[in-house]
Amino acid sequence: MIHDSAIRTQLVTGEKTLHDVTTEICRPIENKPSTSWKVGFVLSVIFLGILGLTLAITTLFGIGTWGLNKTVQWGWDITNFVFWVGIGHAGTLISAILLLFRQKWRMSINRSAEAMTIFAVMCAAVFPLFHMGRLWVGMYWVLPLPNAFGSLWGNFHSPLLWDVFAITTYFSVSLVFWYLGLIPDIATVRDRATTAGRKFWYNFFSMGWTGSVRTWNRYEVVSLILAGISTPLVLSVHTIVSMDFATSVVPGWHTTIFPPYFVAGAIFSGFGMVLTLLVIVRKVMNYQDYITIGHLEAMCKVVMLTGTMVGLAYITEFFVAAYSGVVYEQYAFINRATGPYWWAYWSMMTCNLIAPQVFWFKWARTTPWFIFMLSIVVNVGMWFERFVIIVTSLHREYLPSGWVMYSPTIIEIGIFVGTFGLFFTCFFLFSKFLPVINMSEVKSILKNRE
Amino acid sequence: MAKKQLYWKGEDELLKTKEFLASQKNEFSEALPLDEVFSENNMGLTANRRDFLKFFGFSVAAVSLAACNPTPVRNIVPYLVKPEEVTPGVANYYNSICGACSTACGTTVKTREGRPIKMDGNVLSPISKGGLCATGQASILSLYDTERLDGPILKGSPIEWANLDKTVVEQLTQMSASGAKIALVSGTIHSPSGLALIEEFKAKFTSTTHITYDAISYSGILTANKNSFGKQVIPSYHFDKANVVVSFGADFLGTWISPVEFTKAWSAKRKVEGADKIVKTIQFESNLSTTGSNADYRFPMKSSNEAVYVVALHNELAQKAGIPQIAMAQSGELAGGSIKQAAEALWAEKGTSMVISGSNNPSIQTVVNAINLLLNNYGSTIDLDNHSNQFKGIDSDLYQLSNDMQNGAYSAVLFWNANPVYNTPFASQFVEGIKKARLSVSFSGTADETASLCQYIAPSNHFLESWNDAEPKAGILQLSQPTISPVFKTRQAEESLMSWAAISFDSTTDPFAKKGIYSEKLNAAPFYLYIKKVWASKGVATDDAFNKALHDGGKFDSVAQVSTVPSFAVALNSIVSSLETSIGKKDQIDLILYQNISVKDGQLSNNPWIQETPDPISKVTWDNYVSLPKALAENKGIKNGDLVNVTVGKNSLKAMPVFVQPGQSNMTIGLAVGYGRKGKIGEKGEFDSIGKNAYLFVNTSDFSRNYIVNGVTIEKIDGAYELAQTQTHHSIEGRAIVKETTFGEYKKDPTAGNNQPQPHLYTLWETKDYKKDGAPNHHWAMSIDLNACTGCSACVVSCSIENNVPVVGRAEVRRRREMHWIRIDRYFAFEDKKGLVDKNNSQFEGAFITKEKGLAIADEKAVGSQFEHWENVKVVHQPMMCQHCGQAPCETVCPVLATTHSTEGLNQMTYNRCIGTKYCANNCPYKVRRFNWFRYNDNDKFDFHFNNDLGKMVINPDVTVRTRGVMEKCSMCVQNIQAGKVKAKREKRALTDGEVKTACQKACPANAIVFGDVNDPNSEVHKLFKNERSYRVLEELNTQTAVKYLTKVRDIQNNNA
Repeated sequence: MIHDSAIRTQLVTGEKTLHDVTTEICRPIENKPSTSWKVGFVLSVIFLGILGLTLAITTLFGIGTWGLNKTVQWGWDITNFVFWVGIGHAGTLISAILLLFRQKWRMSINRSAEAMTIFAVMCAAVFPLFHMGRLWVGMYWVLPLPNAFGSLWGNFHSPLLWDVFAITTYFSVSLVFWYLGLIPDIATVRDRATTAGRKFWYNFFSMGWTGSVRTWNRYEVVSLILAGISTPLVLSVHTIVSMDFATSVVPGWHTTIFPPYFVAGAIFSGFGMVLTLLVIVRKVMNYQDYITIGHLEAMCKVVMLTGTMVGLAYITEFFVAAYSGVVYEQYAFINRATGPYWWAYWSMMTCNLIAPQVFWFKWARTTPWFIFMLSIVVNVGMWFERFVIIVTSLHREYLPSGWVMYSPTIIEIGIFVGTFGLFFTCFFLFSKFLPVINMSEVKSILKNRE
Repeated sequence: MAKKQLYWKGEDELLKTKEFLASQKNEFSEALPLDEVFSENNMGLTANRRDFLKFFGFSVAAVSLAACNPTPVRNIVPYLVKPEEVTPGVANYYNSICGACSTACGTTVKTREGRPIKMDGNVLSPISKGGLCATGQASILSLYDTERLDGPILKGSPIEWANLDKTVVEQLTQMSASGAKIALVSGTIHSPSGLALIEEFKAKFTSTTHITYDAISYSGILTANKNSFGKQVIPSYHFDKANVVVSFGADFLGTWISPVEFTKAWSAKRKVEGADKIVKTIQFESNLSTTGSNADYRFPMKSSNEAVYVVALHNELAQKAGIPQIAMAQSGELAGGSIKQAAEALWAEKGTSMVISGSNNPSIQTVVNAINLLLNNYGSTIDLDNHSNQFKGIDSDLYQLSNDMQNGAYSAVLFWNANPVYNTPFASQFVEGIKKARLSVSFSGTADETASLCQYIAPSNHFLESWNDAEPKAGILQLSQPTISPVFKTRQAEESLMSWAAISFDSTTDPFAKKGIYSEKLNAAPFYLYIKKVWASKGVATDDAFNKALHDGGKFDSVAQVSTVPSFAVALNSIVSSLETSIGKKDQIDLILYQNISVKDGQLSNNPWIQETPDPISKVTWDNYVSLPKALAENKGIKNGDLVNVTVGKNSLKAMPVFVQPGQSNMTIGLAVGYGRKGKIGEKGEFDSIGKNAYLFVNTSDFSRNYIVNGVTIEKIDGAYELAQTQTHHSIEGRAIVKETTFGEYKKDPTAGNNQPQPHLYTLWETKDYKKDGAPNHHWAMSIDLNACTGCSACVVSCSIENNVPVVGRAEVRRRREMHWIRIDRYFAFEDKKGLVDKNNSQFEGAFITKEKGLAIADEKAVGSQFEHWENVKVVHQPMMCQHCGQAPCETVCPVLATTHSTEGLNQMTYNRCIGTKYCANNCPYKVRRFNWFRYNDNDKFDFHFNNDLGKMVINPDVTVRTRGVMEKCSMCVQNIQAGKVKAKREKRALTDGEVKTACQKACPANAIVFGDVNDPNSEVHKLFKNERSYRVLEELNTQTAVKYLTKVRDIQNNNA
């Protein structure tokens, strides 16, 4: 039995009973979708259509439909890839690391955070796949599959190959972890199901969950093991993504600070996105009692901490460039701040380092509309961070003869906007068909449980 | 014991009926449904399960087999009757003459399976000595040009040759009989056979006049030499014998007279190793030309004031020599006393110096002659005896012709290699004249501006389909041979003339037949026989001698005449008034018409290779533009991307794009001729509208054509236009990418400029040793002499042809996606005489600003002034291609091992393996990797030669045409390396140094590129790698490149001046 502290604030407010939890969280699944859900879903599907169209154009005509050129050969594509992968970090962090640290406040947000992770990684995967000139062969040539070319394998020196392993591992572990956590709740929906279709499908996906002590015991053990596996992945994925840049010779990329800096940035952006989503979800689905101001405040603190960490990294990079005495390195950083893309650099600095400092004030951490705005600022700032790293480093490198400017085409913008369509389509389906809050876990922290 | 039967199958068996017992005797007790199976009638209806499976299986197999063959069948059929000398897969080489212009460089044509696919310089040719310019290289594609006419044309519709011949001969005969005048208008012809033929033609049709004119006129030099020395010729200029060259606007390394020949000679004299003197080059000019960018001293001048400066130079020297000066009212000196400096440099090298001028004004050229005479340069650096024939047109002839044509004086006019409607300022006179003429014929291979107005077009062959000869310089006889049968139903112009003049050979009556000249059957090409006849009279009287000349590309063993000092016959003061009238008004802007290095006079401007070659200075492709000095641009509020109207008198060009050109002299603007071509017939003529035709601005006062026009006005208009540039950042940002020193410093210390401390080099990877079985393997490497490279871009075109590099067009170049495997980086340094930038500021590099920020500071401070720092610029050219790094950053990052290191030191691309992640290109510090953003072949969006069957004939079969989505880059012509190795192996010998050459190396007229095996201690490249001037670009990255550069050495006092 867990004894609740008398003086600690409640993690779930509103004097909920176990039955309240079940009915309230199952409500969206069992009722007809609301008008706002329908409108949001249709909009998302339209954007998903834009994604399909722009990807079709890219595949039919070539990468030339993008704005890349002989010098800047990665632009919005890889910027968006890192952006989405970064967003995909909060989910696993919340469910795995916070589970290991026994942070019970994570219980009402981990489900949606994990869902967000999975959808974000799906969005991220679009970019490395479609940025390849020949994705029809690239999709499997990067995998170490037995082949008819003799003993031809991938290049294990290449960080891009590490990336393939890192992302696929992360995605599959996250998916299994998320699904495992869903099983008891799916069984609850199954047990309450009134229609034949719902009975069949929730029965199928609950995998014969009985709720016996033995199943619960095994469930807990597997959760803990998966949490243990996921924890290093939280760090490894973005470490390896950062090595896509750090192992190169490009001034502005070739930096040993990248792994911790990228992980901090990923957590920063992940929490930013979780905040964006949850502030909406708790309002629209009336879950203020489950996702309380306390939750938001805790996440704001994480955002402030990691924001300051990335800010420190930005300043450290400048110091190291100045201290290195390498003209190319020095120029790369001066060019970031004062070159033709200065606006991107200063957007990044403002959004990521300066803006989150308002969370020192309690009002800022506890006012949902303000948090929502700040979370958008964080997301924008982190997008600019990746743009600054990738494009402003590439566009002016070693030989000034190759210096060029880069701007995206409508196709690249369409793909980026379209991935939001993919993300929200998935998220809307998730919120309609699956419990967005982990009922079984939340029930364990209720004050009034019988 | 028989087993007791317990069970039975049916009543019949139990009762043992008769029928049952009978049926038991058959193997199959029931009747087989054979009839059903074999009958074709009810097959589908009665099919049972097994049959269904059979039919199903067969259909699936059949459908999938049928579906497996979506591509059309292409057969590789061996020759049924193998032509002699043609072996599939083996190239044949023929020495010939490049016909891209009348300079007539020798060329070696590579053919594969009967198709010419590459032209290189003929190393035996005394003119070009193995070099070939960008235009010449590219001219091979004009053979496979879809715009070529596929047969003779009468007023826009095709006719038969026989009909054409019949009517033309009838009319010519009638006119000749009645004395009606016939004009044969041609470009310069120095073919001995061609000239002899014209004489015969004139003898047949007695009223014929032959008028020669060149698109770019050298009439000024010709007239001046006629007046001065009684010889209407262009002399031979020997840059390799000169220690000082002073040039007034003559771009002799780019476009002036014979640039390949001059570059060969000039660069030979620039070799610093062991040299006491190198050719100090002083250039006075308005546009920043290729020559100006390579000159040791370049002084901006206002070209319409050239007479003043030339006279000033003369007077300076005359004073030193103690002879009378020219008394001209206007006198002047350039800022900083540069004329005086030039005079001193010349005087010190009396007899081994040279003064040249690009002006087409005979009076200015006469003064130049006088200067050279008083410097004793005739007989040493300038040779009037072994003169050039390359340009012979006299402007007054053209002027007279245009007037006569307008007045209808000619009843018939034949245009041979002449397009006066396009490339002269007398277009309207010719248009009118062609209408008035009863007979007008053009021999043009395409429906060009003049041909499309003519009644008849009798299309001539491409020069690679023709027999020809040439005498570009007195005593140097060259031979040209066809390397392919005519692609279309065309006929060489010479043969048309022979046919019309009824010149034929009869072995029984022709006197030469008896001398064994015609060993061939007489169905050989008539002009070939004609050439043989002419050559027999020139001492090549046997088949063996002729065949040797054919093999070598000409007869090069004739002894040059002794060059003598001519006597000067002009009283200089008599031309003063003419000099004075040539001086433009000071407050009016000069328009300088110039030739782009690849487009030249515009004859081949529909050639995509030519258009995609960037200008060496501005790096602009696919357009001509107004080259504007900074001061004028600031004054008029014009910036890059704006449009202006250019007006001279009544003529104007509307909406010309602008490029603010560092080095452009104040109060002058530059504009390239050779653009704005138009054709008419049929749907052909896709290349219309590349730039605008600037020939209409040529100044025709005093009956000559002057390319310097005083009194131009420019007016900014609304609208914007982006020029397609391949390089958009122009300063080197103070980086040690190009190393340079002065000749004085070099003589003291050969490592000068290259003696910075070595960086500490570390590597994570294994160091490669390039050994095979313990013995040294090849290690291919390249050395590039920055002191020789002039930026002429011949290598760029040569590489594109050799390696099937796609042309991407203007729009893609604007997106910075040109595909060139080799590029020439060009950097400007801005001279800061006024000290606009604080000397202690880090943006300041000596007396020159090399950084963007420094330039911005200087520009701000210079507002309201003349922007002198933009006028006086220092230029470097640096060829840049894949450096074939020993520790290549691209190789480690490819996820699929598509780019790997060979055992011979090559960084090799496996196109089939490439998936196009583009990481290699991002990680390349030299930015030499090129991505196939689109499919560049068989794509209507890229309608260049890769999109039609004719254009594809030029594709090199040894090199893969890359598909969409893969990366490509310089391979160091690995196909040539392999071919060389295989050849050596078959001959059981080691590969010799210099046997394998890269395309860029072969093309280079300056011999700046040397390729070879650095593991071979006797190879030239090995020695150059040990040279004190040798360095690697970005050595501190420890990429261990296989390409090294040699420091640039300028012959100047000190590097900051």
